[in-house]
Amino acid sequence: RFHGEGYQEGYAEGSHAGVVEGRRYGSLHGAKIGSEIGCYLGFALTWQCLLQKCTDGKNSKKIRALDLLIGMIQKFPYEDPTYDKLQEDLEKIRGKFKQVCSMLNIQSDFRIGAERSSLTF
Amino acid sequence: GAGPVAGAGSIPLSPGQGWSCRAVLGEGHQRTVRRVAWSPCGSYLASASFDATTCIWKKQEDGFEVRTPLPEPFPCPPHPLLISPLPPQCVTTLEGHENEVKSVAWAPSGTLLATCSRDKSVWVWEVDEEEEYECVSVLNSHTQDVKHVVWHPNQELLASASYDDTVKLYHEEEDDWVCCATLEGHESTVWSVAFDRGGERLASCSDDKTVRIWRCYKPGNEEGVACSGTDPTWKCICNLSGYHTRTIYDVAWCHLTGALATACGDDAIRVFEESASSDPRQPTFGLAAHAAPLLSLCSNSTLHCSASVLRTSVEAEPSRKKRPRVSFSRHMSLMARAVFPVSFLE
Repeated sequence: RFHGEGYQEGYAEGSHAGVVEGRRYGSLHGAKIGSEIGCYLGFALTWQCLLQKCTDGKNSKKIRALDLLIGMIQKFPYEDPTYDKLQEDLEKIRGKFKQVCSMLNIQSDFRIGAERSSLTF
Repeated sequence: GAGPVAGAGSIPLSPGQGWSCRAVLGEGHQRTVRRVAWSPCGSYLASASFDATTCIWKKQEDGFEVRTPLPEPFPCPPHPLLISPLPPQCVTTLEGHENEVKSVAWAPSGTLLATCSRDKSVWVWEVDEEEEYECVSVLNSHTQDVKHVVWHPNQELLASASYDDTVKLYHEEEDDWVCCATLEGHESTVWSVAFDRGGERLASCSDDKTVRIWRCYKPGNEEGVACSGTDPTWKCICNLSGYHTRTIYDVAWCHLTGALATACGDDAIRVFEESASSDPRQPTFGLAAHAAPLLSLCSNSTLHCSASVLRTSVEAEPSRKKRPRVSFSRHMSLMARAVFPVSFLE
């Protein structure tokens, strides 16, 4: 009987601790993603603004890429962490950001924590 | 056609017996040059390096240089043996990958270039008439290191092979590049892929010691293979297993004869031919030639070899100058270590 009770108590406590830890991890991870995408959005909007002033023909491809990036970010479902294509869309956004950086000749060394390792010689 | 072979940091052009080294392009990369590729027009050379960059070199048609050092004051006119054509010049460096670039390939049109890297991404670049290169897409579909990229022989379709055990195909859809197919089946790293002459079939080779042949089924195909939307489906129609005892690093599909050649970690090149009675939908391939080592007097480091198939004889040209050029037909057998890569001379 005590064995059973002990188990129940332990399980309840463990579940509670798990929920707390999960919530903490989830909000941290969610914040990371939000921060990353937020940075891309700010970057893209700024450049969109800057390039609008240059009516050079060469910029049309850059503007198009920026528009696409902004569009992808705006379509991203922030309220739904269970969205099944979350990772896939995130990778597409990252890829588009890298492409835009390449077109603008900017180093895309935006880093969050230790996720991306920098090139070492 | 046959091109230069890359070494650590520098690119010597045309090594081996019967060949003379025309130039050493030593100023482009800081680390291993992993792959080189000539453009379809033959004027440009792309080199992919572990230093995360891809250099584009242009052949210099005009202009000569006097070879240094000169033993004495410049004679007038200069001795002809001391003059050589200018080596290819680096016209641009493509940056963006986060780490080692593993492969580079030109599309048959000559206007597109693809690179892939350990950073798991595939980049597609476009070049215009003014020799300006622009990144048109960064594809993050693979979940691991991408080993190789290869273009379709006549469509703008790109294939990539990865450490994540899959082959992925990409094409342009509404102004952007997307992954349109994922070929699953290999049980380990896929090292290389090759399209057949028509591009309807694809061969992939893997660390799982098999070569798999895949066939393209378009929507509305008569075999009744299901397709999603307008994208074709690729199915595995043949699995060549039991022939290789180690990882297969490279595969090449001869566009003249339809033969398949493989480069394997067991130090051999194998050539497979499709059986005469083979059904294209369920082909059977048989081993036609196998070159294995007689003696190993070689050092332990891996040699890069390219094998060219000219009808029934196979020539292998190892990359180190000290190694003799090896050629064999179905009767001979002598090979260097871990053959990698292999290609057909068209």
